[in-house]
Amino acid sequence: MKVLVFHIGAERYGLRLAGVHQVLPAAALKELPLTPPYVAGLLDLHGTPVPVIDLTQLAGMAPSALRFDTRIVVADYVAADGSLRLLGLLAERVQGVQAVEPDLFSDGGVRGAPFLGRVAADGGSMLQLVEIEHLLPADARALLFPEAYA
Amino acid sequence: MLNDLSIKNKLTLGLGAIVAIMLFLLALAYNNSQKLAAANEWDRRTLKVLLESDHIATSVLQIQSATRGYILTGNKALVDPIDAEFDEAKGHLARATALVADNPVQQERLKQLGPMLEVWMSRAILPQIELRRSRVGVTGPAPHESTEAAVLMGARTVAALRKQINEIAAEENRLMTLRSQESAALQQNMSLLLTVGGGATIVLAVLIAWLLILALLAPLRSLNRTLGRIAAGDQSARAAIGSNDELGKVAVELNRMAQAIQDSQAKEQAATADLRAKVDALLAVVSRAAAGDLSARVVITGDDAIGQLGQGLASMFDNLRSHLNNVQKAGIQVTTSATEIAASSRQQEATGIEQAQTSVEILSTTREISANTTQLLRTMEQATAVADFTTSATAEAQGDLKRMDATMQHMVTATDSINAKLAALSEKASNINSVLVTITKVADQTNILSLNAAIEAEKAGDAGRGFSVVATEIRRLADQTSVSTWDIEQMVKEMQSAVSASVMGMDKFSEEIRRSVGEVRQVAEQLSSVMDQVQKLAPQFDLVLEGMQSQAVGASQISETMLQLSDASQQTVESLKATSEAVRELQYAAGDLQSSVATFSVSS
Repeated sequence: MKVLVFHIGAERYGLRLAGVHQVLPAAALKELPLTPPYVAGLLDLHGTPVPVIDLTQLAGMAPSALRFDTRIVVADYVAADGSLRLLGLLAERVQGVQAVEPDLFSDGGVRGAPFLGRVAADGGSMLQLVEIEHLLPADARALLFPEAYA
Repeated sequence: MLNDLSIKNKLTLGLGAIVAIMLFLLALAYNNSQKLAAANEWDRRTLKVLLESDHIATSVLQIQSATRGYILTGNKALVDPIDAEFDEAKGHLARATALVADNPVQQERLKQLGPMLEVWMSRAILPQIELRRSRVGVTGPAPHESTEAAVLMGARTVAALRKQINEIAAEENRLMTLRSQESAALQQNMSLLLTVGGGATIVLAVLIAWLLILALLAPLRSLNRTLGRIAAGDQSARAAIGSNDELGKVAVELNRMAQAIQDSQAKEQAATADLRAKVDALLAVVSRAAAGDLSARVVITGDDAIGQLGQGLASMFDNLRSHLNNVQKAGIQVTTSATEIAASSRQQEATGIEQAQTSVEILSTTREISANTTQLLRTMEQATAVADFTTSATAEAQGDLKRMDATMQHMVTATDSINAKLAALSEKASNINSVLVTITKVADQTNILSLNAAIEAEKAGDAGRGFSVVATEIRRLADQTSVSTWDIEQMVKEMQSAVSASVMGMDKFSEEIRRSVGEVRQVAEQLSSVMDQVQKLAPQFDLVLEGMQSQAVGASQISETMLQLSDASQQTVESLKATSEAVRELQYAAGDLQSSVATFSVSS
């Protein structure tokens, strides 16, 4: 199983490569007023507006610093009505693709944020999966993907 | 009531009353005279009636006599007038009847006369005349029986006639007597009326005049009295206002005037008292000042004349005080100064004596100076030789310095060119930096591209496995590029910092060279100025020599002068003694001034 490895704070996290649509350099975003602070803005993806979430801020830390390896990961997101939409994730230190044996993953046993999934011990440091379908709280989902536009 | 009328109305009323009384009297008198005139008219008519009755009687007599004459004479001429007389008697009777138209008794009597006359005429007169006529040519008396009847009858009638006429006359006379009594009463009335009325008028006129005088004179007297009191100085005198007329108004105005005079006098008195108090205060201050005590303060102020006088006096006293203070201070100062002058003149005296002694010492010193001068001359010659040597050495040093200056100049130009080259190097390093930025961007793009390629390959499944390997290789290349670029960047940065350190070192070096050049130049200039000075020394030494010689001459001259100076010092001492005397007198004068100023007390 291949995952896209990135960091939130000092910890490594992985996103299933199958759900990743594209990786882009951190570009200028259009700010969205009256949205939660972790909504970084709106990305212009070849004419299609894509909402972008700051993962670091969503995890309750300071906003993502704009480094040379800070990227926007465009991922597929299944909206409430079942339609497939695009969601941008602003992530720090995107290292690249890594193949991890599925057997290595095990349940972390601790329930933190709802979007955190299973954990794998890989070469000394832990890697935790991020479940994109549980990423957005209900109100943010309603705000960013209103059903009227489905 | 009379008081409320104006004087004009009073006069009009009084004089009008008098005129009315007189008019009333005149009316009464006129009425009486009218009555008298009427009585006179009645009297005249009565007289007329009497005259007419007399005429009738006369006519009857006339007829009687004519008839008798005819009877006696038979002359017809005597008969002729009888008819006329009878007619005349009838006419008189008619007139009398008309006159007594108002008296029916008289009228009745007169009316009885008419028939009586007729009867008399027809029964007595005419038959007699007829009888006589029938006896024309017959002389002598007529038959007694026929005549006697007629004559008797005639006599009776005439007697009746006379009696009637007499009655009438008596009646008229009685009436006339009555009327004359009435008119006499009227006249008495008239005179009584005139007397009483006149008297009453006079009394009334006097009364009215007295009232008027009373009404006019009383207020006038009161006004006069009040004016007299005011004139005599009684300000509180006021006229009594007894009436509402012009004089009453005059009294009111007079009272107002008196009040105004009183008020203004009271004000004037207050002002005078105020003025007196201020003048007294000023006088007290001035008296104290006259006695020498200037410490009193003038407290009177204001805009009026006395206030300004007070302020003027106050400022005058202030000035005087300050002047006296100054004079007192000056007196003390003069005394002090005089004392100082006395002391210094005594010192000068002593100094003069000392000076005289010193001049003697100077004389001996001058002799010593001329001896020393000769020795100095020799020393000066040696100094001239040293100066010549110094001049040649300095010229040599100057040449060396000029060569050194040229070398320094070369070094400066070389440093400048090195600096320029270093700048070019720095610019090149910057260019390398910009190229490195481009390379970094390309490596970054490549990294993202390889990531996306890996994603695509994963999505392609087994078909993309080979491609996945290629993507991984590309990513590794991009990472290596990034690392190498970072190394180059570090190297370029080090090079740039080394270049800028070199530039700074070169700048410091050239600055030091420039400073050295400046210092060398300064040394050269100083050397040349030293040379100039040394060259100038030789002639100056000659001048010194000459000066030494003239000094020897001067020393002897000084000896002479010192002798003269000694005499002058003696004279100075004399004059200083005179000065001391004058200063002592000045001290006495200053003491006098101080004691005389001290009589003034200026402290407040």
